[in-house]
Amino acid sequence: MSAPDLGFQFQAMASACEVRIAGLPEPQARLLADLAMAEVRRIEAKYSRYRPDSVLSRLNAAAGSGQAQPVDEETAHLLDFAGQLFQLSDGLFDVTSGILRRAWDFHPTPGRPKLDGPPWGAGCAQHGPGGQQSRRPPEDDALAALLPCVGWAKVRWSGGQLALPLAGMELDFGGFGKEYAADRAATVLQQHGVRHGLVNLGGDIRLVGPRLDGSAWWLGIQHPRLAGQTVASVPLGQGALATSGDYERYFEHQGVRYCHILDPRSGWPVRHWQSVSVVAPACLAAGAISTVAMLKGAQAPAFLQAQGVGYLLVDARGERHASEVALGT
Amino acid sequence: MSSHSLDASPDAALPEAPVAQAGALVLAALALPGVLMMGAATPVQAQGAPESGVVGFKYLHYQDEQPGLKRVQVSSPSFYILAPLGPQWSIEGSAVVDEVSGASPRWHSSVSSASHMHDDRKAGDVKVTRYMERASYALGLSTSSEHDYRSNAVSGNANFQSPDKNTTYHVGLGLSRDRIDAVNGGFLNNALGKKKNTHELMFGVTQALSRIDLAQLNVTYSNGKGFFNDPYKAFDERPGRREQLALLGRWNHHLEGDGSTLRASYRFYHDSFKINAHTLGLEWVKPLSGGLVLTPLLRYYSQSAAYFYGNALANPATLPVPANYSVTNPPLYSGDHRLSAFGAITYGMKAEYKVTPDWKLDAKLEQYEQRSNWRLGGSGSTGLSPLSATLVQVGVSRRF
Repeated sequence: MSAPDLGFQFQAMASACEVRIAGLPEPQARLLADLAMAEVRRIEAKYSRYRPDSVLSRLNAAAGSGQAQPVDEETAHLLDFAGQLFQLSDGLFDVTSGILRRAWDFHPTPGRPKLDGPPWGAGCAQHGPGGQQSRRPPEDDALAALLPCVGWAKVRWSGGQLALPLAGMELDFGGFGKEYAADRAATVLQQHGVRHGLVNLGGDIRLVGPRLDGSAWWLGIQHPRLAGQTVASVPLGQGALATSGDYERYFEHQGVRYCHILDPRSGWPVRHWQSVSVVAPACLAAGAISTVAMLKGAQAPAFLQAQGVGYLLVDARGERHASEVALGT
Repeated sequence: MSSHSLDASPDAALPEAPVAQAGALVLAALALPGVLMMGAATPVQAQGAPESGVVGFKYLHYQDEQPGLKRVQVSSPSFYILAPLGPQWSIEGSAVVDEVSGASPRWHSSVSSASHMHDDRKAGDVKVTRYMERASYALGLSTSSEHDYRSNAVSGNANFQSPDKNTTYHVGLGLSRDRIDAVNGGFLNNALGKKKNTHELMFGVTQALSRIDLAQLNVTYSNGKGFFNDPYKAFDERPGRREQLALLGRWNHHLEGDGSTLRASYRFYHDSFKINAHTLGLEWVKPLSGGLVLTPLLRYYSQSAAYFYGNALANPATLPVPANYSVTNPPLYSGDHRLSAFGAITYGMKAEYKVTPDWKLDAKLEQYEQRSNWRLGGSGSTGLSPLSATLVQVGVSRRF
């Protein structure tokens, strides 16, 4: 009988997810997978922008009120991390930039009805473009109306209290929430003695440990243009792999692709890379670094090398650029 | 006996510490509670257990020469394999065949006759390593044989990592047993069944000084007893005991701007033959685009002469018979240029190219120039011709 290698699929954070556990009997593996899934769902509930009772919704609802909100310890750590990300990316990774999507419609269903209206309140535009005319780049003034509400530097975060000074400002942990959840779920499994397995949240993968025989898992990287095909395979026994790409949410207008990764300084999508995959010790690092690399454009290789991570870049022509250190080592 | 190394500087690269190289963003992510399990005794945190195996083949060609005379030539294909045995064990082994030919090491360069020689050396070693949480232990065996020289050795090594993984301690122990059976008994007909036993002790510390700086200090002491003479050299008579002490300091500095690494090393050597040597080495590991890594290197070496080294005579027509020579009670004496006082410079380039994530090609070209008057702070031994050597190595390896 071959040693068990079990996969448990589930849906979370708007993604297809899987917990994989090798070397344990099925009932035990299922129990442990449930614990890992519960950790993912806990984080989703806590930081979802779509749930009015989430921690982020509560903080965002107080934007412009002048009232600083106390936050719990886990949120404080994530806010500290957001601040470091902003600083270390020279302002490119900004958790306040999510509102720029109000000007862009990357929703997979075209013509989704949206609220329309003029900017109001003390802050900035709070509603997107009209429903039927979406799926085209916004007018410059639509972005200009949103940009005042973008900027981590404007957020007042100190002493465990957070205040968003302008009405309409929003925090969005979408840039690293899934990756953080993958790490936390993998840690839960490790704390329960799992040594062989992985957590995959929509392609953001954190290894719990190598395969049962000690060998690496082979992880595929989604081809940025050919759905269902891989552009590379990476052997990995520990650490994490995350990919950011222009293919996840996007639309095309007059032959130009507009993807959901927006430069917080201009409000416009990135164009330089089709995708960036990063291997790092933790998924949180791999995901954040891959997104920053997408935003860094031509400076991405130097940035990635300075971070000491393995990477695979696919450029605008579809050509691959891999790190000198193999992705897997 | 044949040796590949162009000088006494160790060739092995200082291991890259992943934590020391991690960028600020990686460290910021790892600092978040729950992202990594702290203090876990998992294979993830075991010390450097290899995840995949490697097989490699290398071919080395060495040629040295003095003005107007090509001397020793070595052709040496070698094979290497490393295989993980589960998450906590690995085994590695290598085999090499050297074919040495050409003129035997020249007498003092003032004597032009040089006998020709040809020899094959076969050598192999095997090492088993056990990886534990923050420690690893290795046991190795090696053997080497030529028609006139056999050597067997055993070694034990241990590595220990501090809890913060910033400091690693290395301890090593080695024993070797050599046997010399010179062809026709050598010059004095007495180099048959001669033995040489050597014990070696090593201690080292590697310390991550910062995210981008890694330093290492190694101390090696060895004590050999037995037959050290060159059996083919006239009048060669050396002490029956040799104690050696070497201090090695290395420093790796990672340049974040272009992802390259500077490697600097200094080695001080002293032995009971009263040779003092200094080696200064500099390498720059420069990753280029497309999976190519170039490493230019420069080394300077200087040594003083052994106390029983006899300088070449001013009159090249005379055979250099040592003063007070007696066959029954020969005085300590050697004319081996390797025991003379000299300085040397090695420069070269290594190239590594990753064809695919699993296939790697590498090539190395080194040029060695030895001159008596390049010796540090002194004029060096007299009467020796310059010595040059060229080393070319190509290799291919595959991970599995």
